[in-house]
Amino acid sequence: MESAKEQSCFACEMRPDRVFCDLPVEALQAFDAIKSTTVVPRGATLFAEGKQPRGIYVLCEGRAKLSVCGDSRKRLMLRVAGPGEVLGLSACMSGKPHEVTAEMVDTSQVAFVRRKDLLHFLRDHRVACLQVVHLLSQDLHQAYDRVRSIGLSRARRPHLLHAAGHASAHSN
Amino acid sequence: MLSPYGLDIIESCFTCKLRADRIFCDLPTAALQSFEAIKYASAYPKGAVLFVEGQAPRGIFVLCKGRVKLSICSTDGKTLILKIAEPGEVLGLSATVSGKPYELTAETIDPCQVNFVKREDFLRFLREHSEACFRVAEQLSDKYNTACHEIRSLGLSHSAAEKLAKLLLEWSSKNGEAAKQEPRVKMALTHEEIAQMIGTSRETVTRLFAELRKRQIVHAKGSTLLIRNKAALKALASS
Repeated sequence: MESAKEQSCFACEMRPDRVFCDLPVEALQAFDAIKSTTVVPRGATLFAEGKQPRGIYVLCEGRAKLSVCGDSRKRLMLRVAGPGEVLGLSACMSGKPHEVTAEMVDTSQVAFVRRKDLLHFLRDHRVACLQVVHLLSQDLHQAYDRVRSIGLSRARRPHLLHAAGHASAHSN
Repeated sequence: MLSPYGLDIIESCFTCKLRADRIFCDLPTAALQSFEAIKYASAYPKGAVLFVEGQAPRGIFVLCKGRVKLSICSTDGKTLILKIAEPGEVLGLSATVSGKPYELTAETIDPCQVNFVKREDFLRFLREHSEACFRVAEQLSDKYNTACHEIRSLGLSHSAAEKLAKLLLEWSSKNGEAAKQEPRVKMALTHEEIAQMIGTSRETVTRLFAELRKRQIVHAKGSTLLIRNKAALKALASS
């Protein structure tokens, strides 16, 4: 990972459109002071499932693939996170190991904030803490959607096979 | 004194002896006082529906006593149980925060005491008490963790036997049974409900339990299941 030119969040034109980034001036100044910006190459792993959280990663640009791994090392893609998303948030808030692995899809700029600094920042800036609660709610909504798509489509499969068998029996 | 559904209702959070052990409830005094002013303590019988998937969020439900089944449903009526919520959990949290419809259906499986807080009161409470905001973030993180676990189990397990073995091992690790060579599991759910937890049919669950008993991996005694061969169950879970 190479260090990017330290860019201030104040100079970012995309900021108003992004849930976490659009903070009041005072909170943004504090955030600017604790973040470090790096350019992360495509294919690099930001964090791995099961590892203790070091901090959060704000995707300034580019995309990252979020996946989970089974005992047989098989991978299941959860979703692709886009610019403006904050990754590693739930593990950082709970202090528990990361639930997912995040891997960069594009070479792009990422802002990193250490866990300790993040928790201090959130204690000092209530607005940011509320934003975090909103982001975690969104993450949870997306996770439930994935549960629904995997769990309920699998449960339906026998019916579809049954229906297909039925249809072919009728056509014969 | 008669109490609703045989529950010993805890009127005030300040007098709740279990508060210290519960992430959300163990708030600083000022925040707890504010919470006391906005909550409605209520009792529900077994089988009551607290909220339904797709319904606009009315508020949060803090589970004080009893257990609640959290499930999602497909359009053709198939049900998948995500979790059995235990006392201390806050239900309907992400929908209340985001304003989006409830993602799950919550149904009591025991008589329950629940503290309900209206959405607008809860959002104001969060704006005023940053410590509560932290607790909510922690609860949401825990729920995210559970959802990822469910995704992993549903999406990456090869067979229903593997999923059932994992579920039994998970249950056996609770209530101080983890260290025992032959842990006991209190079976609170029916075969139908277990099937809904692992995304299979009731018939498959019944057949799998019969096989486990035949291979002497488990032994059923009333509603208690004794895991006689933990190693074999573990091998099945990682097959």
